[in-house]
Amino acid sequence: MALLTSMFESGRIDFKGQELVSKLATFLIVGSALAAVVVGYSQHALSLCFYTYVAGVALTYIVVLPAWPFYKRNPVKWLPRKQAVAGNNTAPALVDSPNQPTSRKTLVEDVSDDEMDN
Amino acid sequence: MNNFLQRLSGITSFAMSTLMALVVLISLTTPFLPSNPTHAVQLHNVQTTTGRMMDPYDKTSRTAEYARLTFDVDADLSSMFNWNTKLLFTYITVDYQSSSGFNRVVIWDRIVRGKRQAKLKLRKHHNKYLLRNFAQTFESVEGANLTLIVNPVPYLGVMYDKTMSSVPFSIPRALKAGDKK
Repeated sequence: MALLTSMFESGRIDFKGQELVSKLATFLIVGSALAAVVVGYSQHALSLCFYTYVAGVALTYIVVLPAWPFYKRNPVKWLPRKQAVAGNNTAPALVDSPNQPTSRKTLVEDVSDDEMDN
Repeated sequence: MNNFLQRLSGITSFAMSTLMALVVLISLTTPFLPSNPTHAVQLHNVQTTTGRMMDPYDKTSRTAEYARLTFDVDADLSSMFNWNTKLLFTYITVDYQSSSGFNRVVIWDRIVRGKRQAKLKLRKHHNKYLLRNFAQTFESVEGANLTLIVNPVPYLGVMYDKTMSSVPFSIPRALKAGDKK
């Protein structure tokens, strides 16, 4: 169940995963168009050609759309957070200090799909 | 391609573009698919007579010369059916030159919807439609040809005419009333 939510909740994948997605989708869709021509011409039916193409696109959707775990193998390595300079009030505090009320997290690295797994 | 909706949008538009390319490829390669139809047209007889279309609601009808042809057709068009053929529109025309230029009159047609109906065997058929010159008489008509044309209608692509047979003949003038034979 946790796997399903991590695949569909926002479906975010890392950059290497996006490259892989792009290559896979191109290969699968062009391949299903070629297979559609071969199947349709050999069976002498134009309708079979387009049914094959639609089946190929459906297969591409299944492979590419959900955020499968193998697309998230190279997560982005963020630099460690800088601490605020003591006594300096010009920049907003980045660190949650016990004196300040906790603010809503809006930075990207603070919001991740994996927080659901806590 | 970061989230689900972006992937859905990008992949779907690529799939639609590929579909368009597939359709264009199919429609462009269809005229080059091989086919070997057999065809033969034989003309038996041409009779010309004068008459008038009797229509009580149309007072503009005039006396004109009408020609009636008797012909045979033998054709096997089943090899013209490829994966992209919807039907074959076969028709017979009379082409001639007159004082107003090139004329083409369709005198018979038939829609062939499958390989089963593709073997044409007509014996002593008459023309389905009237053969009349635009100028009411066949006076300046010369060089008439009886032509069999097939127009394969595709599912995807452009229709075009394929001329099969052409038989030259001459259209006789009608005898006027009172002429001795």
